[in-house]
Amino acid sequence: MKKTVDVSIPLGPMHPVWKEPCRLKCETIGERVVKAEMELGYMKKGIERIMKGRPWQEVMFLAERVCGICSVIHNMVFIEAMEKMSDIEVPDRAAYLRVVANELDRIASHLIANFSYCYTIEHETLGMYLLNTRETVMDLLEKLTGARVTCSYMVPGGVRFDLLDEDKTDMVIALDKVESEIRRYMQMFDEGPLIALRSVGVGTLTSEQALEGHAVGPTARASGIEYDVRSNHPTYQKLNFHPIVRTGGDNHARIMIRFDEVLQSVSLIKAAITTLPQGLIRGGGVMKKGSIVYAGEAPRGELTYHIKADSFGRIQEIYIQTPSIMNIEACVHYMIPESYSIADVSATYISADPCIACTER
Amino acid sequence: MTSVSAYIKQMLTKDWAHNFLNAKTAPLESPSYFRGTPHLTGKECTHCFQCMMICPSPGAIEVMKNDENGGWAPVIHDGHCIRCGLCVEICPELVLEAGRVHAMNVHDETYMQFTFHIQVNPVTCMGCGNCSVACPVNKEIDPSLAAKGTSSSDDVIMRVDKGLMTVLHEDKCTGCKTCEEQCPTGSIMVARVLEPLQLVES
Repeated sequence: MKKTVDVSIPLGPMHPVWKEPCRLKCETIGERVVKAEMELGYMKKGIERIMKGRPWQEVMFLAERVCGICSVIHNMVFIEAMEKMSDIEVPDRAAYLRVVANELDRIASHLIANFSYCYTIEHETLGMYLLNTRETVMDLLEKLTGARVTCSYMVPGGVRFDLLDEDKTDMVIALDKVESEIRRYMQMFDEGPLIALRSVGVGTLTSEQALEGHAVGPTARASGIEYDVRSNHPTYQKLNFHPIVRTGGDNHARIMIRFDEVLQSVSLIKAAITTLPQGLIRGGGVMKKGSIVYAGEAPRGELTYHIKADSFGRIQEIYIQTPSIMNIEACVHYMIPESYSIADVSATYISADPCIACTER
Repeated sequence: MTSVSAYIKQMLTKDWAHNFLNAKTAPLESPSYFRGTPHLTGKECTHCFQCMMICPSPGAIEVMKNDENGGWAPVIHDGHCIRCGLCVEICPELVLEAGRVHAMNVHDETYMQFTFHIQVNPVTCMGCGNCSVACPVNKEIDPSLAAKGTSSSDDVIMRVDKGLMTVLHEDKCTGCKTCEEQCPTGSIMVARVLEPLQLVES
């Protein structure tokens, strides 16, 4: 009998398809991965330490720079936490506009996550199509806020700019285009036989394992856990938001649920634009002393800010809990040992949409 | 098969043929609504330094005296600027403009406002009076301010009273933080509290 040799294969820190550096150590028996381990620490910025002692108008921009892909939600959660701490009311129009900016950012984030997966399984055509659609969404975000990535759109008590009527019609036309394109790409992904070979049944995460690994966001929802922080948000409740759930739990389900959520975001933006209330966009109000724990739903899952501020709204202590660290945990312990071969490891890892910049801050 | 038929269908459209024959890269210019680095509008600067105070990026904007005509004007260092547009929003004299930030502020009637608060830690304060002497507003109100920081005028922002620094008129503070820089023990702190506001139609 041929002797089986156990080999520890390291992937990373630099890998052609990974967006950010991290090291994944895979213990293998033959082609099969039996155990995996993640090594982080290549991207530490120390951004929480820089935030300390600064007022909100400086921390707001630092919070945006925690993550380059989901920057709007960091801004939104930080500002909403500070508002809740200081009892500042947000006008209805501003709350709706926040949802518009946030959902546009979510579409952009989900599309780049799906691009990454398509690129990893070497379906570059579909990947490039998705990036093309993402450009349309980024242009809409730029039109609304003035910047493509670091929008800095939300301020305490409201938003910075109003949505003009001519931009509103442009936005609806562009979103219709995005919706029709995404439906086509969804069909391509869902029915493509070669995509199915690389994704259906690979890296399965059952709902029990998702609970045990503390998976959040689309990763958990693809395994049948109906949990989304947006359903607790008052503005989303007004827009009749219900989380989407899939029960597959494999790579295919995780990518498809992101496509589903893109379509859901498009419909949420359209609903927000058509029912946009008239009125003020800034209510005013100054920051007060206090401490708070506040969570919001980032594109990757639950994002929590623990904040303590002094009497003039300067940050005394801050701790940011980002969703990717939980998803990486679930991915490394449960998904990767379920993938068939070492070739599927990077695809499985990318399907959990890890964001190392968020994780290490 | 659906993908193949989708490709063929796409090729038969008029737009596809037009784009294929007239293939052209998009022009590399940022749109008018892009919030770039601020530029000067030509209006006169009153050197209130509020743009410097609000700027979240260190060293991105400096208000400097112009040698040629003696006027003041903000200078923006492009490498440091993070294109946030807050200096445009805070400027009371409309000296700066970035993208359509100011145009949108006029459209929405929005603005931002600073209030300044002085905090003295009585435990570490030794009552040396450096802050009171250094304060440019104090100097203007009471030119005969003593070197120990005591003053007979009740209109000054702060003065040394019975060996302790007391703040009398917080509302006169311009937020320059000179007192903070001069304090040997770090006992005085100036908080710049920013409030985003919108004009309410009554």
